[in-house]
Amino acid sequence: MNVEISDVTRRFGRTQAVAGVTLETGPGVFGLLGPNGAGKTTLLRMMATVIPSSSGRVRLLGRDPGGYGPRREIRRRLGYLPQNLGYYPGFTVAEFVEYFALLKEMPPGRVPQAVATAIERVDLGGRARAKLRTLSGGMLRRAGIAQAIVNEPELLLLDEPTAGLDPEQRVAFRALLRDLGERASVIVSTHLVEDIGAACSKVALMDAGKIVFQGTPDELTARGEGTGAAGDAPLERGYSAVLAAARSATAAA
Amino acid sequence: MTAATAPVRHRTPRAASAVPLNAARLLRVELRRNAMPWILPLIAALFWFDSYRPSTGAAPLYGLRTFWNMGQGGTIIDFGPFVAGVAAWMGSRDGRRGLADLVTATARPRWAAQLATWAATAIWAVAAYLVFVGILFAIYARQGVGGTPPWWWVAAGATAVTAFSAAGFAVGAYWPSRFAAPVATFGGFLAMMLSSQTGFRHNTGWALILPTNSNGNFDSQDSGIFFPWLPDLPIARIIFLAGIAVAALGLTGLPARAGGQWLRRAAAVLTLAGVALAGTAVGLASTARLSAHGMVIPALHDAANDAPITYTPACGHAAGVPVCLNPAYRRWLPDMTAALTPVLAEVVGLPGTPARAGQVAAAYTSSDGGPPQAITLGGHPTALRVSLGMLDMPGPCGFCDGPVATKQFVDQIRLAFAHAFVGAGNGGGSPVQQAVQAALLRGAGIPFAAQPKLVATAKNVPGPAPGPAAGPVYAAARRLATLPAVAQHAWLAVHLAALRAGRLTLKELP
Repeated sequence: MNVEISDVTRRFGRTQAVAGVTLETGPGVFGLLGPNGAGKTTLLRMMATVIPSSSGRVRLLGRDPGGYGPRREIRRRLGYLPQNLGYYPGFTVAEFVEYFALLKEMPPGRVPQAVATAIERVDLGGRARAKLRTLSGGMLRRAGIAQAIVNEPELLLLDEPTAGLDPEQRVAFRALLRDLGERASVIVSTHLVEDIGAACSKVALMDAGKIVFQGTPDELTARGEGTGAAGDAPLERGYSAVLAAARSATAAA
Repeated sequence: MTAATAPVRHRTPRAASAVPLNAARLLRVELRRNAMPWILPLIAALFWFDSYRPSTGAAPLYGLRTFWNMGQGGTIIDFGPFVAGVAAWMGSRDGRRGLADLVTATARPRWAAQLATWAATAIWAVAAYLVFVGILFAIYARQGVGGTPPWWWVAAGATAVTAFSAAGFAVGAYWPSRFAAPVATFGGFLAMMLSSQTGFRHNTGWALILPTNSNGNFDSQDSGIFFPWLPDLPIARIIFLAGIAVAALGLTGLPARAGGQWLRRAAAVLTLAGVALAGTAVGLASTARLSAHGMVIPALHDAANDAPITYTPACGHAAGVPVCLNPAYRRWLPDMTAALTPVLAEVVGLPGTPARAGQVAAAYTSSDGGPPQAITLGGHPTALRVSLGMLDMPGPCGFCDGPVATKQFVDQIRLAFAHAFVGAGNGGGSPVQQAVQAALLRGAGIPFAAQPKLVATAKNVPGPAPGPAAGPVYAAARRLATLPAVAQHAWLAVHLAALRAGRLTLKELP
């Protein structure tokens, strides 16, 4: 298992963002669904080793990120795309990706080729020398994806990766996700259930800091059948049904 | 986006040599995209206006040319605040740009990445400083400025720029806001203004460590001409500023995100070491004492720096007496011989008349208690020792109301000679010495009416306030001056020893 999370919590002052999450996943694309404020981003930040958990056990790529040495080793094999990705406006696309390749301590000799490949894979080859300040929002998102995959990570964490991408790019990105998922654990946090349906082999649904559903997209779809839950697509109806059930259970408790 | 072209995965262990290479490439990216070059035109304009332009108005001697820009720290003031501001901008970059999470999630310790950003900023700033100062000195060299450049002060300035960059970077790293840069810039200006104001008031003690305090190191333009620029105080300042830089950089490595435990411990040690360095330097500066050649810090002083600089003098003649100057003053040799010729002609053949005139260094301190004199007599055979470093040389001055006229210089030399010749020493002289001095000056072409003003404006020659050339001294001087030259000469030949010993009265003048 590349990700082993057991009863993990995370508090920010009085707010409990993640409340006893248990999750395991190996290679493949894993979708993390949930409404705003469900705790998806906090969970991803813990998996990205940006913040530690308040309690519980986390093992990533077979290592405990609590220790500095193992954490550094995890980070070498990690790709991360935050939800609100900033950028250095004066950097070119190639420099931005190279910069993060170097921060990820890739062997220097492999950096130029890896940078070129990553940029090609997100279809920015023609804009490799363009300054980031000149790019559109979608292109910036793709540059962010390029930096995340430049080191061919074993664990790739993508927070809202398709935000800002047009439909054509979104389709291409899903193909890329499927390809990456053949070798690595790809965890995608998103609002867009169609991304989950198209690219993910497993899915978890979070609400109020807890995982309220874990299974395949088909299983999630099945949970919505015959419930009359809101949604334009079967997966959306499953999403709504699970959420409604979880909330009513919480209210009853 | 294509899924087909999957690159080869790298799983080989990193070679040890990859780490510095990786860091070098990171530095290259940072150098290429650093914000510092954008501020350099502004600094260049300020440098031209504030450091270069005023300096070229000073006499062509390194001690005078570099008084403002090195001694008073003008160049540091031009650079420091803006460098601090840009460094704060770079230090706050990841936080401002919302990249802190992403950078934190990479394998390279955050502190190491920050140090690369800082290093690029500092390299740009220090390189610009050295280039600007290099151009300044190259122009000086083309203009034939005498002496040697104060390299130790240049090094202190470069360290100051480094310290400003480190301090500004720490501000930005701890306060990742768009306001960090203007606040750091303003803080830099404030620090420099406080340094200047404190420096002006203190010529001893801890305040000597302040980078804009020139006391005891630029008061004589003969540093770098007759004797080397003493490195003691600049070394102390380098230690002080390096300490600040090290402490500031250490501070950026303290937060939990900066790296592993050992790295943060190293940062803490670095911070403490920087504080200790700066404190040690302050302690060293407070032990400084003023010597004839500048500030000496016993713990740092190297006696080899007291050895005079050897040179081949530039010589001419005045009334048959050889007059030799340091080659740095070669351009003023004609003015010097022209100044001495009439006064030497008046006294030639008298006992104690100088057989030669030579330039000596202007000392920072007087060896005999009183105010140092520009011209003294001494030795066997008697030699005229001229300390031009104490005088304003003809031409641009930089520290005067305007350019120094040749006549003003010539009159000062004649006054200094007459003052020394009558034996007035460090004081104003006895009434009879003053009268003979006035008569000699009158004989050398300076009318009595002009003499009170000349005496009042002359450096280190005590005398009455400017006013009419009247009273018993000038009455006696007029009596002596009306005598034929031969009679004056004969009277001086008989009474010179008594005159110098102060045993004569005005009534004894013919």
